[in-house]
Amino acid sequence: MTDRTFTPSQYSARRRSLLIAAGATLAAPLAAHAQAGGEDIVIGGSIPMTGVFAFAGIGIDAGMKDYVKMVNDAGGIKGRKIRYVPEDTGYKVDVSVAAFKKITSQNKVNLYYGDSTGFAKTINPELDRNGNILMAGASFATELNDPKKYPHQFLVGPDYTEMFGILLNHIAKEKPGAKVAFVYSDSEFGRDPIDESEALAKKLGLSVPVKIMTPAGSVDVSTEVIKLRRAAPDYTIFHGYILAPIPEFITQGKQQGMKSKWMGTFWTMDSSTVMKMGEAGDGFMGVMPYRYYYDTEKAPMLEKIRALHADYQSTAYIQGFLAAMLFVESAKRTLDAGKPLTGDNLKAALNSIKDFDTGGLIGVPITISGNSIPVGRVYRADMKAQKMVPASDWIKL
Amino acid sequence: MRIGTLKESYLADAALFDSRTQKAWLLVLAAALVLFPFFAGSYWLYLACLVAINVASASGLNILTGYTGLVSLGQAAFMGLGAYTVAVLEQRLGTPFLLNLLAGGVVAMLGGLVVGIPSLRVKGLYLAIVTIAASFIAHFLFANFQLTGGTAGLAVPPAEFFGVLLDTSFKLYWVIVPVTVLMLVGSANLFRTRIGRAFIAIRDRDISAEVLGIPLLRTKLLSFGLSSFYAGVAGGLWAYFFRVVTPESFPLSMSIFFLAAIIVGGMGTQLGAVLGAIFMTLVPEVLKLVVDVLPGGASLTVFLSPVRTIVFGLLIIGFLVFEPQGLAEVWRRIRRFFHLWPFRT
Repeated sequence: MTDRTFTPSQYSARRRSLLIAAGATLAAPLAAHAQAGGEDIVIGGSIPMTGVFAFAGIGIDAGMKDYVKMVNDAGGIKGRKIRYVPEDTGYKVDVSVAAFKKITSQNKVNLYYGDSTGFAKTINPELDRNGNILMAGASFATELNDPKKYPHQFLVGPDYTEMFGILLNHIAKEKPGAKVAFVYSDSEFGRDPIDESEALAKKLGLSVPVKIMTPAGSVDVSTEVIKLRRAAPDYTIFHGYILAPIPEFITQGKQQGMKSKWMGTFWTMDSSTVMKMGEAGDGFMGVMPYRYYYDTEKAPMLEKIRALHADYQSTAYIQGFLAAMLFVESAKRTLDAGKPLTGDNLKAALNSIKDFDTGGLIGVPITISGNSIPVGRVYRADMKAQKMVPASDWIKL
Repeated sequence: MRIGTLKESYLADAALFDSRTQKAWLLVLAAALVLFPFFAGSYWLYLACLVAINVASASGLNILTGYTGLVSLGQAAFMGLGAYTVAVLEQRLGTPFLLNLLAGGVVAMLGGLVVGIPSLRVKGLYLAIVTIAASFIAHFLFANFQLTGGTAGLAVPPAEFFGVLLDTSFKLYWVIVPVTVLMLVGSANLFRTRIGRAFIAIRDRDISAEVLGIPLLRTKLLSFGLSSFYAGVAGGLWAYFFRVVTPESFPLSMSIFFLAAIIVGGMGTQLGAVLGAIFMTLVPEVLKLVVDVLPGGASLTVFLSPVRTIVFGLLIIGFLVFEPQGLAEVWRRIRRFFHLWPFRT
């Protein structure tokens, strides 16, 4: 045990700092409570601003903020302002739930943005019990695309199986009878669409000669590349990763003479992520439910975003922006119908969205009949231009 | 002011609480714990339950690492064993939840006994690696067994107690906190027995302990078993609390969290595990509240969040540097100060 002595002044300094800390601890919740209340429409958010998913969370947060500001500057919804209340979660489920509890106990929350599949599943019974909240989030898990099990949630795009569906439809059209390999991570995220997509591939007349599951976070993939080369696929779809080990697969595959086209799903497909692949990424394709920041096709909402930000905004930004747009549209439709903002009413209003124009964020008018928006487009990386360029029309499932 | 505690018998010397003041404060604490749910909002109730679960698991790890000196990074995996056992029993058999909790503890204990076998041959960092390996094996089993629902995991129906569905933090508080208190009392009493003292003897010098007649393997295994029983019960509580159990619910970082909690709190003291778990769970939340009240704090969340994480890290480092004995020692120092109050030493 350490044996130390303290002078009286040291003691009083320690005591003072202890008192200050205790005071701050006690005062903080009171002050936070004071901010609560009002007739605002509140969008709460468990946003991962730190941790492994921060790259997306920061974009999502900015997108939500910008759209909410736009609506408020234009007078809000029926004179009611929208208030966006985010909390950082570090991409941890228990912290996310704490954020939810904190935000909902301090505000009358109507809409909520969740940060992960784990959180969406964990909070679902609470959403059902609460009955006043409609939730969307960063997850595209197939499991969540079930209005019966998740009646108060929706996905801001196609689920992972639908993303594979869009890619497979594109492949079936481009090269009927093609061989498609699936490479995915050993995680809930990675395994999500694999079984159903294999069945769909067969239905579309495609074959799946090999499915390779890699440990999450694996770096050395030389054995897997040999397995992949032996199967000689025409297309290889990666899923369950952000970036690594995709560039390693492509580089080694190309070195070994593979002629496969390489594809990815949403979380790999941000322009900045694909550009990090360097030369290996040239021609890399993948599914994207939204337009990129720099798309030149007519999109008034993208023009507004570009007017707000001269620099590139990620696809996570567009996702957050669109989530806020759909939240606001649901609230507007509910209030227009003279109904209270309950979870059921908000969801019914969301499901009444038919041929809705997103201002060009999604290239075709959207209809949300269930929990997802099964629309997307295949984009291809053009490394010379350092941009993702369209490789297909918009595909609706 | 008091100048000492006179003990006239061995029984008094071994008593958990030795003064009237202590007992009075304990009553105050008990009353506060009972009254807390009636005054706290859902956010604070949620945190209280989470803290209680973490305290239960940390005090289990404290038995193994703090008292027996066996470093383990498998606490989260043992919690996972308990959580999955509870989830499977609740979902498939619908057995009473107290029985499920107990079963969760027992299954985790069996897991702990298996993992503990190498502890006779290896210790320190080597044992830590063994426990990491065990947690990877557990993760693999959770993710690949049909019984455990694969990577999607299992949804846990709410516990039911005499017809009342325990589906809110308020209702669960009345289960989680008493179970945790019971476990803490159990652990405190353990170190008044021969077994507990044998653990400490092994920690201080295992060869000498063996010379004293303590069977090393049996005692080390017992420590592993008890520690993972605690983790299993905590995992079971976790399962009822979060209602979804997936292989990703119990990552290695969670084991590190518990190890950090007992180090920050003060290894080898009951109070250390409690204070450490409270500190590690609550300080990030309290820092959030502090950030909220800063001018413009709420709108600057995106910039202040990383700062907050850094402050949390610095706090931990600060404690380790300036108070290696942990929060328990800080607490003792505060108590000593008040023993002599209003006089100064």
